[in-house]
Amino acid sequence: MIVATLKEIDEIRKMIDRYDSVLVVGCDSCVAECAAGGARETMLLASALKLSYLKDHMNPTITEAVIDRQCVDDFIDQIADQVPEHDAILSLGCGAGVQALARVYSDKAIIPALNTLFIGETQSRGVWQENCLGCGSCKLGYFGAVCPVARCSKKLMNGPCGGSKGGRCEVNPEIPCGWDLIIRRLNALGELDRLTEYVPPVDWSTSHSGGPRKVVREDQQP
Amino acid sequence: MEDTPVKIVVYHCRNLRLFKDGEQKIFCRQWPGLTMVSIPCSGKIEAHHLLKTMAGGAQGVLVLACSEKACQYLEGSSRSRKRVDYARLWLEKVGISAERLDFVRIPPMDRVALENLLREFLSKIQSLEALPAIAKA
Ligand code: SF4
Ligand code: SF4
Repeated sequence: MIVATLKEIDEIRKMIDRYDSVLVVGCDSCVAECAAGGARETMLLASALKLSYLKDHMNPTITEAVIDRQCVDDFIDQIADQVPEHDAILSLGCGAGVQALARVYSDKAIIPALNTLFIGETQSRGVWQENCLGCGSCKLGYFGAVCPVARCSKKLMNGPCGGSKGGRCEVNPEIPCGWDLIIRRLNALGELDRLTEYVPPVDWSTSHSGGPRKVVREDQQP
Repeated sequence: MEDTPVKIVVYHCRNLRLFKDGEQKIFCRQWPGLTMVSIPCSGKIEAHHLLKTMAGGAQGVLVLACSEKACQYLEGSSRSRKRVDYARLWLEKVGISAERLDFVRIPPMDRVALENLLREFLSKIQSLEALPAIAKA
């Protein structure tokens, strides 16, 4: 899933103060799972904004709406009747959701309420871990399903580096060494032999470094 | 104008058994401006409920919970405390006194403790500058 966090209210206020009416739109998928932009956070942010304006003796119209996915037109269409009544949309979707809203409601200002961070998993309640960089050529099969691109701070394909100490990364001891995780996991699986093969450097042309990517499937098109 | 009662909302855990059937309404009549909301467990309350209650015009909100050990859902009372703390953080972020929001554990069925607490909370809220009312819904 996409992991994000809510922006500070001051930054949001700076972006929306110019509008008399704002539609606050949550996204009940990835960003709901990471407690940043789902129905709860939409209610929280809309209420916090109302209180913040109230304190400043201002009274813009703040309306709440939540859709299941802000990155799919069928869901985006569900707010079509509310959009014209507002000057702007404050989106609690990820960056993709914000841009999809802007494409569909092309005459409306769309403001992000979140900082989109990474592709990750819910590791335990209230903890989200980055574990994929969307490199476009997944090699997890060679590394015991621990990603060296996302979990090793240096993105080493033939690690570990000399700085791995006690299972911690030299870049920051808070970070578990990705290569320590890879080796432990392969060892547990009895597949350490996978590491005897040299892995060539990552071909970044399949990643975002090759420019914005697109997947087109004719069989899925109308 | 001066007589307008201060709007206070109290969310209380049902397991505190503060009221028998029908008693809550009668109790609230003695406290103008007070709304008591019974909830299945204090852990059911989350920060967005509390902020929405404040944005809806409450001048103060109290969450009453059982002691941690007495919580029938084991983690409800401790979770609730964290959520109230989180909501208080948000009040601070928007520049509103976090004192308007409080979490208190009281003994079950203790109406005297409840009344003392309400008196204290009300006088604390009255000492703060009133929040402006919302003109538009
Ligand atoms: S190898 Fe690439 S696609 Fe696979 S998990 Fe790592 S970054 Fe993601
Ligand atoms: S210590 Fe481990 S995670 Fe950190 S850069 Fe070196 S190999 Fe990668």
